[in-house]
Amino acid sequence: MSTPDRHESLEQMIAAAVRFLPPQGPIDSFVALNPLQGFENLPFEEAVVRAGRLYRAQPFLPEAAYREELARERIRVADVEAVLAADLGDRAASPLAGGRTTLAQLHRQLLLHGVKLENDSAVRWTLTESDAIEQLRDDLEPHVRARLLESASVAGHTTPGRDGLVASELWHACVEATSGTRPAVGFVQPPVRHRDLILAVRPTLDTDAVVHPLLIRMVAAYLDQGVAAWPMPDRDQGMLAAIAGVYAGQFGPVEPWSSRLPERLRTIRAACDAGRPGRITALDVIEQELLHLGVPESAWADTITETLVALRGWAGMIRQLEDRPDRAPVKALPVRVVDFLALRLVLDRAAVEWAATQLGPHDNNAARNVTDQLGRLWTELRDRHPLRRGPGSLSRAFLLHQVSQLLGLSAVDIRGLADNQVVELEQAIAAFDQIVRRRLFHLAYERRHRIEVLDAVAAHRRLLPPSPSEVPRVQAVFCIDDRCESFRRGIEEFAPDVQTFGAAGFFAVPMYFRGIDDWHAVPLCPIVIRPGHTVTEVPEERALADHRLRQTVRRSLGRLRGGVSQGSQSLLRGGLLTSVGGAIAAIPLVARVAFPRLTSHLAAQAAEFSRRRIATRLELARHDEGRLPDGTLPGFDVGEMAAIVRRLLEDIGLTARFARLVAIIGHGSTSLNNPHESAYDCGACGGGRGGPNARAFAQMANSPKVRAVLARAGLNVPTDVVFVAGMQDTCTSAVNWYDVERIPATHLEEFESFRRLCVEAGRLDAQERCRRFDSVPTDVTAGEALRRVQGRAADLAQVRPEYGHASNAVCVVGRRRLTRGLFLDRRSFLVSYDPDADAAGAVLERTLAAVGPVCGGINLAYLFSRVDPLVYGAGTKLPHNITGLIGVMDGHASDLRTGLPFQGVDIHEPVRLLMVVEAPQERIKDVLDRLPSVKNLFVKQWIQLVALDPATGELALQDSRDDTLSFTPYTTESDSIPVAASSVAWYRGHRGNVRPARLLAEAAGRRQEAAVP
Amino acid sequence: MMLDALTLHPVSALVAWQLIAPAAALATIGLPALVGRSLSERATTRVVAFAFSSCFVAALAVLVALANSSFATRVVHLGRLFAVGHHTASIDLVADGLSIPYVCFSTGLCSLVNAFAGKYLHREPGFTRFFILLALFGTGMNLMVLAGSIDVLFAGWEFLGISSALLIGFFHERRNAVDAALRAFVTYRICDVGLFGASVVIHRATGNGDFASLFAGDWPHATCLVTSPTAVAITLLFAFAALGKSAQVPFSGWLPRAMEGPTPSSAIFYGALSIHAGAYVLLRCESLLDAAPLTAWLLVAVGIGTALHASIVGSVQTDLKSMLAYSSMTQAGIILAEIGFGYRLLPLVHVVSHAILRSLQILRSPSAMHDRHELAAALGGHPGPSSWSLVRLMPPSLSRHLYHLALERGFEETAVSRFVVRPLLKALIMADGIERRWIAALGGHAGDGGRRDHDGGMP
Repeated sequence: MSTPDRHESLEQMIAAAVRFLPPQGPIDSFVALNPLQGFENLPFEEAVVRAGRLYRAQPFLPEAAYREELARERIRVADVEAVLAADLGDRAASPLAGGRTTLAQLHRQLLLHGVKLENDSAVRWTLTESDAIEQLRDDLEPHVRARLLESASVAGHTTPGRDGLVASELWHACVEATSGTRPAVGFVQPPVRHRDLILAVRPTLDTDAVVHPLLIRMVAAYLDQGVAAWPMPDRDQGMLAAIAGVYAGQFGPVEPWSSRLPERLRTIRAACDAGRPGRITALDVIEQELLHLGVPESAWADTITETLVALRGWAGMIRQLEDRPDRAPVKALPVRVVDFLALRLVLDRAAVEWAATQLGPHDNNAARNVTDQLGRLWTELRDRHPLRRGPGSLSRAFLLHQVSQLLGLSAVDIRGLADNQVVELEQAIAAFDQIVRRRLFHLAYERRHRIEVLDAVAAHRRLLPPSPSEVPRVQAVFCIDDRCESFRRGIEEFAPDVQTFGAAGFFAVPMYFRGIDDWHAVPLCPIVIRPGHTVTEVPEERALADHRLRQTVRRSLGRLRGGVSQGSQSLLRGGLLTSVGGAIAAIPLVARVAFPRLTSHLAAQAAEFSRRRIATRLELARHDEGRLPDGTLPGFDVGEMAAIVRRLLEDIGLTARFARLVAIIGHGSTSLNNPHESAYDCGACGGGRGGPNARAFAQMANSPKVRAVLARAGLNVPTDVVFVAGMQDTCTSAVNWYDVERIPATHLEEFESFRRLCVEAGRLDAQERCRRFDSVPTDVTAGEALRRVQGRAADLAQVRPEYGHASNAVCVVGRRRLTRGLFLDRRSFLVSYDPDADAAGAVLERTLAAVGPVCGGINLAYLFSRVDPLVYGAGTKLPHNITGLIGVMDGHASDLRTGLPFQGVDIHEPVRLLMVVEAPQERIKDVLDRLPSVKNLFVKQWIQLVALDPATGELALQDSRDDTLSFTPYTTESDSIPVAASSVAWYRGHRGNVRPARLLAEAAGRRQEAAVP
Repeated sequence: MMLDALTLHPVSALVAWQLIAPAAALATIGLPALVGRSLSERATTRVVAFAFSSCFVAALAVLVALANSSFATRVVHLGRLFAVGHHTASIDLVADGLSIPYVCFSTGLCSLVNAFAGKYLHREPGFTRFFILLALFGTGMNLMVLAGSIDVLFAGWEFLGISSALLIGFFHERRNAVDAALRAFVTYRICDVGLFGASVVIHRATGNGDFASLFAGDWPHATCLVTSPTAVAITLLFAFAALGKSAQVPFSGWLPRAMEGPTPSSAIFYGALSIHAGAYVLLRCESLLDAAPLTAWLLVAVGIGTALHASIVGSVQTDLKSMLAYSSMTQAGIILAEIGFGYRLLPLVHVVSHAILRSLQILRSPSAMHDRHELAAALGGHPGPSSWSLVRLMPPSLSRHLYHLALERGFEETAVSRFVVRPLLKALIMADGIERRWIAALGGHAGDGGRRDHDGGMP
């Protein structure tokens, strides 16, 4: 194959491989995304197993965890049976053991009771140290036990003795049965990387262990966004050139494995300097290295994938920075995945050559040159790759002994089996391995949750009062975020005449935003959108003088702080600073650690004092068509604004019956000492805070010009309707309001009363959140709870300032009426959608297009981070170490940790999102046909989709796995729904998840409301 | 061994409390954990908090009492370990102008870190283990600081070393953490030879291990009581021990790796207390240093060398904790140089204030993103690299070389592994082989039956 062709196929292989890299960008705009994006073309259940193999990750929770859930009835036997029946289908009745039992019985027993698979030595130990074979299992079902004992009754022993006799007799039968047959040998697909092949034969010789520290050092130094005082030279020439330039020097001692590196890097550097495009140079290097490694071309694609995945945090970051340079925290650099791969292969080859010499001469004495040598090594090691041995005979007998007991097969039965029947039984047991069992458990686990939620939704809907005829006092639009659910519920519990809505928290305003305190504009919109507009916050004329003064003070304070922190790291200034001034640090140290809340309160007061004096406004209207240097337009014109306003109002179904006051409330989260802070911000704002979007929206919607345009298009917003904007802090449970001074006097009273309502709702919200924190007593009062959450936000030592989206499990797309008055435990994304006003499905189309991937992404990010906290999650936060301002490592040199830290998911219950859409099935089908990628998430079962018929209230579950959706009607398990006086009364005293309930306070409020004529 | 602590003078009792309290805390949380019934998180932190804060208050009281007696040295005799002929080893504590301020500072810092860690490690599987190690560390620290004899000092020093190594390897399921812990531990053990040697020399020279027979008078104006060659020998050995603990060249490789543990332990060990233990020991025997100019000059050379090395290497580190580790190393080097130059109060003040600043920085390191963005907002842009003008003046090829040198940490580790570790390993393997052959020859067994795989170790 010629080089250009090869380059093209290499490019394709790389493009295919990068899909398997984590989708996470720089940590300061953390967005929760499905870490298995590369597998989304497969059904969920298959994808997790395949991904588990590639990443060496767990596909599901450990079996023991599910068994615990079974024991505490979070999973019920009925769930297990239902899941088993669906899984086996027609095969359920297949006879086993000569018709003495069935496949269904075998699976049922294995799931409900569990058996131990141990190797021969462990079995030998068990045999000598315990009475496992002289006792029947104590978890046998009574009839099975009776049957087993019956078989020995002829011997006429007393019951206790008979028990032992039966067991040991059965043991001998099992030993005989298994000794007549041969164990199966499993075939294992050998790995493709030299590293894995070598590791399999010599477990102490890990080439990655020598390559990774160096590679991490190189890449981290190149990508650094401003931690190091001295950046890598020549970074603008591209990663490969810059790193090759630095490491080409023959200077100082080298490790034996890397002795040939400088020479190789020098040639690469020379090639880079020769003026060819960097991409071509990198592809050349990749090609040469693969040829040198001697991997056959048919295995290149796999080699590239596994080579990239070996250090996937860094590789993924490079891919993200290549795709979206605008998301780089400080400085966009010319990064390319090909550069990284080329560099990595150069190091890999050097390490493999060295490792080959360590393996001893017998592996390569035939080969004359190095290329041949590595190729031969590859072939030889693949041939020699260890097979997976089947279990030994003792181990098989032990397993059979346990299974026979569970199935009620006595010694006589076992002895009556032909050899092939024994093999068949053993194969059936082996095929039902732990992965299958965990998969079924997982399905049962999800089934129970689904039934609880759907039964509650169905029951609640049946009791739905007629919709109130009065126009609400206030309408409040929140983000769809699960954390807003409790806040909305709190408001509604207090004030039945307030109506709430849920909309994606960027409120249809995609923009780059620069506040008066920001140094650059950041994108505030879903991560898939690249905004075309920039909005800046500017001080009002009258505050200009104050603003300038404040800037000056801030700048000098900033210089001082920057000077101290940088100075303390340098030699001379550091000596002076630390010896003379260091003791002053005792004040912040003691204050921050011993009195966190007081300290942050004072700091906030000071900031607030200086900030409040400066009235600002958004520079929202565009006056001319000139573009900004970054290519975006400054602000929006009236037409664009009207389109934005119209879109949001239509989305949530608020096109008539406006209240006099409409509040738009974005959200964000403030916490200290938390590299993952932005993970708690608004996902719909790309890990930013949604306040500015809310503010921009309110400003647009209040504009008479915009309203005039809207009116011409048939959307009449009465003149006495005023929009106000606020931002909810999900960590401190407080709402801050924007532009209060611009609210007309006629509406101030309403606004003040709503503001007070939000304060009250915030206290309830804090109380409800506190029940999840182990360190807060469950009977905490609302006031104390508020102080606690504020304290957590301000505490340097607090690793759980809030729980983010942990425990999210449900998404309801539909009218709030459906869920209003239903306790959903902060576990539901609530998306407002009015099916009656959207016959064509246009609104549903754009709603699902946004909500499916966003909520699904959040849910899957939490699910996988919880299922395998070490591979998919970021592990514990405690050793996290910020590197390059782009991510965190464990300690001083590890892969970048992607996913969510364990402290954010430890209470999460990993179930797939249950998305209930209130729309006719046909409309959902039509709409999804126009959204193939979203549809894929549903048909491949990454999200459980349920259609709720707006007219009849019937629920139907989407259960197709091929390309067309199909809905099966859902029948409720129970028609009753628990009732509670209030949210507090329902969750009080519980730490774990609490099932949905109907809230009487709310129902009572609504009855009153309905009674009003 | 007998303890006559009960009959002590009140001030002496307060000094003795510095040992009793952390040791009691260690027992209180350690013993239940040993039988598998750990205390609750709250109880654990409270016990340790009580121990450290009561120590802090007691130390302040002693400080006031000492200040009233113009810092005259007070020796608290707690008992005698053994006495053989002319040799005695006693358990003495010394309260003077060096040890008491230092104890105030270290127990105060331990209290703060305890308060921090109580929340930081909430629900962590190793919660109890962390606090056991923290209590062990506190006991060792106080033992070392208050030591009135080389034997007591040695014991405290070892507690410090072992708790430090175990905390680096706190996440023992991660390979990097265990490797780093092992590296720190080996470095410590090698340098402990210095302390052990010093102990032998001191016992030989004076017949007991008491500092009182090495020097007399009040710190920092004590006079040396031993001959100059003895002083040189003792101080050289002390200095050798200090090089490892204070991560001086060529023993500095373990320090950046030590950041594998939980943040609070990194702060207290490598930002604040452990890294200055070497400086403290040298300050303890400052009068010997006056009599040993050779050691003093050596300290200056090593200290300045380390400071230069660490500041250059530190300037290219791209992760917060490594950067802070090298910053600490820089200051530790300067402090040793200050001691070498003959200053006494300056290094003490430097140690305390550097430790406070650095602990704060390490504890705050997870908010680096926040701080940087805030700073950028205040300045209207990111401050940008503060490359020294020197680098800018250099020709590009030279600056690339220097950058390479810095990024590879001055090739210190490569050199040590190549010129020290590997030859040593080779020699050991060879010796092992010879031994096996001898045993085989003597025992008449075939030699290769027990052949081991030696490729496992370091690459």
